[in-house]
Amino acid sequence: MTDVSGWWQPLQESLAASPMLAIALTLGAYACGSWVFHRLGSPIWAPPVLVSAMLLSAVLAVLTIEFRDYRAGAQWLTVLLGPATVALGVPLYQQMHHIRALWRPILCTLPLAATLAAVYAVVIAGLLGATPEVLASLAPKSVTAPIAIGITEQLGGSVPLMMGGLLITGVVATLCVDVLARWLAITDERILGFALGLNGHAIGTARAFELSATAGAFASLGMGLTGVFTAIFLPLAFRWIGL
Amino acid sequence: MVMLRGFLVLSAFFVAGEALRLLLALPISGGVLGMVLLTAVLMLRGAISDSLAVASQGLISVLVLLIMPGVVGVFFLGDAFDGQWLAVGVALAAGTLLSVLTTLWLMQRFTNDPQEAKHDD
Repeated sequence: MTDVSGWWQPLQESLAASPMLAIALTLGAYACGSWVFHRLGSPIWAPPVLVSAMLLSAVLAVLTIEFRDYRAGAQWLTVLLGPATVALGVPLYQQMHHIRALWRPILCTLPLAATLAAVYAVVIAGLLGATPEVLASLAPKSVTAPIAIGITEQLGGSVPLMMGGLLITGVVATLCVDVLARWLAITDERILGFALGLNGHAIGTARAFELSATAGAFASLGMGLTGVFTAIFLPLAFRWIGL
Repeated sequence: MVMLRGFLVLSAFFVAGEALRLLLALPISGGVLGMVLLTAVLMLRGAISDSLAVASQGLISVLVLLIMPGVVGVFFLGDAFDGQWLAVGVALAAGTLLSVLTTLWLMQRFTNDPQEAKHDD
């Protein structure tokens, strides 16, 4: 106890060998990020996950922890994404009754709109010379994160690049729905909610719940159906095209 | 124990999804297949057990925490994608604008069609 460096060195080494440091840092950044997000007045352009991730990156840089080491420890958290993805089936089932109210427009819109959400981005990026790895990372850009991670891994894309694209898509989709709905004079909250969930995944759905509970329910439905449809369609399409 | 029982159900569906993926050589992730299986079973049963509701709510409420390590990776990409950022930016911005426009247009078109709706009655 008398020699400070005598216990700090072993502590640092033992923490580096176990995942607890990575888990504690992630939990801490999550708590701080949520607090900052609420202090900022819950802005759409800075979702809590972005605020928390920026904080955590800064902490890793200051403590000179290698991202590779951090990711190895954080695996103990990310492995839970598997059962968490399965858990999304519960709210999807609970929103299913909304399909009855608007089954025809939903069935006509969903396959085409969810396919085009991926096709537009892949075609534009492809024309601008993006590599297959980048295309695979952009394709699931409108899908909710836990499902999108599974899709990107299947397609051979980069999960971090996909996550960045997902965040930007969520924010841009939310702004586009606001602007375009006014331009097209659409006021039906069910349509606005569905468009927010289909294109803007969890970020759009959060915005829809601000509009109304109805918009939020249709956004949840749009997000869930888009996730399932895209997760089945994209890997098969990529395999078929041979990317 | 209630939450653990629900977690057992979720884990079992995840394992079933993985088994299905390997068995049929599908390129779809085990989690998604498990989710589809779970939704199908719930629709057949028409009810959710308390333990499943508690466990799924618990996991969904910490989703942001679970995806955070992936988002942190964005700041450590370094120069892995140099020269492609223009393509990425334009694809995300223009692609999202187009897909939102498509969705709104399709939904509006199919909702405001009283002639078509009459056939359902």
